[in-house]
Amino acid sequence: MMVTWEHFAYFAIPALLLWAAGTYAAWRKKTVLAYAATGAGLAVFAAFILAFWMTIERPPLRTMGETRLWYSLFLPTAGLMVYSRWKYKWILSFSTLMALIFIMVNLMKPEIHSKTLMPALQSPWFAPHVIVYMFAYALLGAATVMALYLLLKKTPPTNEEYEITDNLVYVGFAFMTFGMLFGALWAKEAWGHYWGWDPKETWAAITWLSYLVYIHYRRIADHHARTALWVLLVSFALLQMCWWGINYLPSAQGTSVHTYS
Amino acid sequence: MQNKPWTMKEGFLAGGGLIVAGLLMQWSIGPTAWDVFAWPVNSIALAVFTAMIAGIHLCRGKVRAFRFLSTYQAAVPAMCYVVALTIIMGLTRQEEHGRWTDNMLTFWPFVLTYVYMALIVGLAVLKGGLRLKSPGKLTAALMHLGLFITMTTATLGNADMQRVKMIAAIGEPEWRALDEKGHVRELPMKIELKRFIMETYDDGSPKRFASEIEILPKGGERLQATVDVNKPAEAEGWKIYQYGYDTEMGARSNITILELVSDPWLPYVYTGIYLMLAGGLLMMVTGARKGKEAKR
Repeated sequence: MMVTWEHFAYFAIPALLLWAAGTYAAWRKKTVLAYAATGAGLAVFAAFILAFWMTIERPPLRTMGETRLWYSLFLPTAGLMVYSRWKYKWILSFSTLMALIFIMVNLMKPEIHSKTLMPALQSPWFAPHVIVYMFAYALLGAATVMALYLLLKKTPPTNEEYEITDNLVYVGFAFMTFGMLFGALWAKEAWGHYWGWDPKETWAAITWLSYLVYIHYRRIADHHARTALWVLLVSFALLQMCWWGINYLPSAQGTSVHTYS
Repeated sequence: MQNKPWTMKEGFLAGGGLIVAGLLMQWSIGPTAWDVFAWPVNSIALAVFTAMIAGIHLCRGKVRAFRFLSTYQAAVPAMCYVVALTIIMGLTRQEEHGRWTDNMLTFWPFVLTYVYMALIVGLAVLKGGLRLKSPGKLTAALMHLGLFITMTTATLGNADMQRVKMIAAIGEPEWRALDEKGHVRELPMKIELKRFIMETYDDGSPKRFASEIEILPKGGERLQATVDVNKPAEAEGWKIYQYGYDTEMGARSNITILELVSDPWLPYVYTGIYLMLAGGLLMMVTGARKGKEAKR
């Protein structure tokens, strides 16, 4: 069956309704329902991605709209993982909300998505490189939301809440490291060099180091916890620049092999 | 500053001092001349750098500044400076000639800040040592060692990397190529294009372009190979990449443009990369190390 962007809403809206049900179930401490509904939503959304993949005969990883698909898939996944670990009833609200935002963007900005995959992207590295990055971005997005929550809430954050943030960052950072290094290994096979200080690569390094600042700062005795949370917000801003901001940077126009629509 | 333990403030001062030193160097001796690091200078530099780090580590009991360099209070400011300077690089168009913002890779403050960070990473490797009782410490060890190896060998090995472009034609074996400065280089093999392959999608955009080539190494046996984008061939220590073709002739192009790359330090860079991948794997599975008590 041919599944295209025209069918997206038919999958995305049911998925969102299921995730909303899961979110509500979590608030009401109905754990099994929370897992079931969120999982079902993920299955529906994954079905779209899979069918779309088969229709366009290439992994849907090339355009911004396509990467947003994976982000929308990985955010509830990350939320579910955190929920299963700590049973925080609010975490699914955040992951559902973020998935909603990216789905809305895709629904409202229907872009022309080309069927073809150029030779440079025909590599076994393509899918792993982009997918681990999308998963990293989802986890780091969750960490950012957590940081905002901790900065804004009236009562002082607990140690456990700081540790959750740390865990999200560490696992997100691990995936980001994979993404960056897969990129380097692929670049050697594709372009003859593993690192060219291309704007995308430069900003990837900046983002990577920025999260390392957070990780190391947190380990200083008597560090200021609020400062650490601000570092997370700044890091996520740098991440946005790396992900899509460079497409709009005047200095990067025409110079980056990574700019995609 | 005298008797209290040094804090991030001292770390920022140290980094700031390096920036000033770098600026003075830039104004006096000019941009970093990376070419100077060709073999054997790069190996000597690496040996000296590593020895220096070992020396600092061994004398840390006696010299306060040395002890400071392997603390988080030194590491965090160092990383902040690196991030700041790299952001400037990320916001500006990089090209060969022009102002300092245009060529950060030869701008001494940029270079020194990265060297300083590498030094701190090296010290972290030694400080962590082989006391690897917890997964967190093992992760840190893998990451620090991997990063140190990758940073040093990639930077120093760069001067030994050669990238040349060759036009191979049907029926005319070629052994000469042009380097990045436009000089003619002779390679230890002849390459002849046997057939150029180009496939397009229905809308005319390229699906595949590849070259079937025959390689005749000096004093060696003939090799047949197909070079695709993403699938380089290898011969005589060189990797051969599909770079371009005669775009006017398209699929009927009877020449192919190949890029040949020789990168002797690559195995060392890859060692560092694989160490970091292992560290990442461990990090993914174990999550965060317990943070220290924070000020609220």
